[in-house]
Amino acid sequence: MRKVAIYGKGGIGKSTTTQNTVAGLVEMGKKVMVVGCDPKADSTRLLLGGLAQKSVLDTLREEGEDVELEDVAKTGYGDSVCVESGGPEPGVGCAGRGIITSINLLEALGAYEEDKGLDYVFYDVLGDVVCGGFAMPIREGKAQEIYIVVSGEMMAMYAANNICKGIQKYAEGGGVRLGGLICNSRMVDNEAEMIKALAEKLGTQMIHFVPRDNQVQRAEINRKTVIDFSPEHAQADEYRALAKAIDENQMFVIPKPLEISELEQLLMDYGLFG
Amino acid sequence: MDTGLLKGRERQIHEKGDKPFEIECDKGSLSGAVSQRACVFCGSRVVLYPIADALHLVHGPIGCASYTWDIRGALSSGPQLHRLSFSTDLREKDVIFGGEIKLEQALGELIELHSPKAAFVYSTCIVGIIGDDLEAVAKRASEKYGIPVIPVQSEGFKGNKRAGYNAACRAMGRLVGTGDTSGISPISVNILGDFNLAGEIWIIREYLERMGVEVVANITGDGRVEELMRAHGAAVNLVQCSGSTMDLARMMDDRYGTPTLRVSYFGVEDMAQALYDVADFFKERDPGIVERAAALVREELSVLMPKLERYRRDLTGKRAALYVGGAFKAFSLVKAFRLLGMKVVMAGSQTGTREDYEELHAVTDEGTIIVDDTNPLELVQFIKEKRVDVLVGGVKERPIAYKLGVGFCDHNHERKEALEGFVGMANFAEEIHRTVMSPVWRFVPRNEESCGE
Repeated sequence: MRKVAIYGKGGIGKSTTTQNTVAGLVEMGKKVMVVGCDPKADSTRLLLGGLAQKSVLDTLREEGEDVELEDVAKTGYGDSVCVESGGPEPGVGCAGRGIITSINLLEALGAYEEDKGLDYVFYDVLGDVVCGGFAMPIREGKAQEIYIVVSGEMMAMYAANNICKGIQKYAEGGGVRLGGLICNSRMVDNEAEMIKALAEKLGTQMIHFVPRDNQVQRAEINRKTVIDFSPEHAQADEYRALAKAIDENQMFVIPKPLEISELEQLLMDYGLFG
Repeated sequence: MDTGLLKGRERQIHEKGDKPFEIECDKGSLSGAVSQRACVFCGSRVVLYPIADALHLVHGPIGCASYTWDIRGALSSGPQLHRLSFSTDLREKDVIFGGEIKLEQALGELIELHSPKAAFVYSTCIVGIIGDDLEAVAKRASEKYGIPVIPVQSEGFKGNKRAGYNAACRAMGRLVGTGDTSGISPISVNILGDFNLAGEIWIIREYLERMGVEVVANITGDGRVEELMRAHGAAVNLVQCSGSTMDLARMMDDRYGTPTLRVSYFGVEDMAQALYDVADFFKERDPGIVERAAALVREELSVLMPKLERYRRDLTGKRAALYVGGAFKAFSLVKAFRLLGMKVVMAGSQTGTREDYEELHAVTDEGTIIVDDTNPLELVQFIKEKRVDVLVGGVKERPIAYKLGVGFCDHNHERKEALEGFVGMANFAEEIHRTVMSPVWRFVPRNEESCGE
């Protein structure tokens, strides 16, 4: 079983990209579980067709320690298994501790046991590695490969670089590796070249360039992934290509984060004069 | 001095002798040294604890409340609410989802059950990390129940015990100035930095009353919320205990121009000096007060001194070590032991400042070890090296003394006899005598040789 975590700046399209990619993987016949690690609990909406499901932490809060896996794991598109960690209301408590508790509980409930026959687990993590809790999915024994969703916008690249620092820290102790950058296009000038160059400097690869297409929006409004909503559409093929690239990926590295000055230079080189 | 010292501790220890006096202090504890200091929360808790008609609610995991439950045993002449320890008992779920709702419920339940005059809500480490908004909860509860509800910003990790004293003083500062001061005598004081562990504040109040001085507020021994609220009506603050309440005295000086007299009620000299200083302060308003103070001291000494003489005969030449929280107590103890004919061979404190240690250096004898923020290993070493007969300290020092077969006198939270005032000096002398002269020490390892003879 491969354990994958998806990180990236808030609003970059992690959940959308993850679910569309998972749709591609299940189409290939893979058994996939998605664990949403965001208090908003919106990481599995497209796979579940909008079904609001009970989050792990809500269940824990209401029913105590006596939680069954069946209470929190729902079956979604293509027999994917969907779990939401959940968490506190905005501005209170500690979402980071929530993720730690939730992932430990899922392990204790045997969510990842052999008998589940999983080929993949995807952790879809809220934004940046802001504190120890949000690094939980990449600690020892959890996700072994990370993909960072990024665009050619400056702040997205900053965030990607920052996430690499987190990966670097845990790579030494726990063995997590960076599998590549997924460019979710924002139609920035020279975007693909810039992200390729960023990936190279980080010591990794741009595993796929996902072009911007409103079909993604249309599918989302219909609470579906693109593959589910319009299998014949060109955008569906992009996600199939991404799924295939991840499935065949052999390049797993400890990233080398950039100094801020290097990152600025990259923007100057590609963003201004490219 | 020998060697068993941890690297990095050398400069916080000085043996009085030929070398010029130098000591490092007022800094964080050395990692791994197992300091005798407590955390910020504990510092706040011990200062506010004796306010007997307030509700003390510890917002945190149960351990913070249970380990400080009735930590001081401070006596109250009235309500006993302070002796209970209330906790919001924060669990994993509360950490994730926030503890504010639980805190609000606990406050409501406890205020309805116990009708306190005010409530203190202590913040612990985890509350500081998850960011529960204590101010907002306190404000709502205060409006709903019509009593002051005061957050104490005492997250344990913010510093050491001293930061806790400061948080406690800031909390009390919110009460002071809110009460009615009419009817307060111009010859009036607040007693700050006495905690009435064994009735000491009653002794001091009685002396002051005999001199014609009104005590407005006990801060905080046998303390009351309403007294604190009108404390700004007193003419002067008498501050004992260097660290714990000085911040409040400074605050009151800034806000209300209340001056401060620093005093100590331990030992004959300091107790008498405290009364003379008070008399001196009020002599223009009440010329008779000087003579009343002198008469009081004379009267008390005529009872005390013959008693002391008896103990002094036995104790002359015996050796004492002392390790206390605030250095001010150490000065008084050095003098008190001298009066008993004993030598203080080691003196230290958890939170002393440079000025404190300079004064301590000045009052001690040649060869005395002066130490800041010590630890068990060092204490063991000093006690053995200086062949100490009795150690004075608190609950954390007691097992060290007993393991070494050395006498111990609790001059901290757990004492059960008043050690302040003239009568306190008699108690102290009696306790030291009973301990040092006990026949049991013939059988302990340090005296094995003489035992075998």
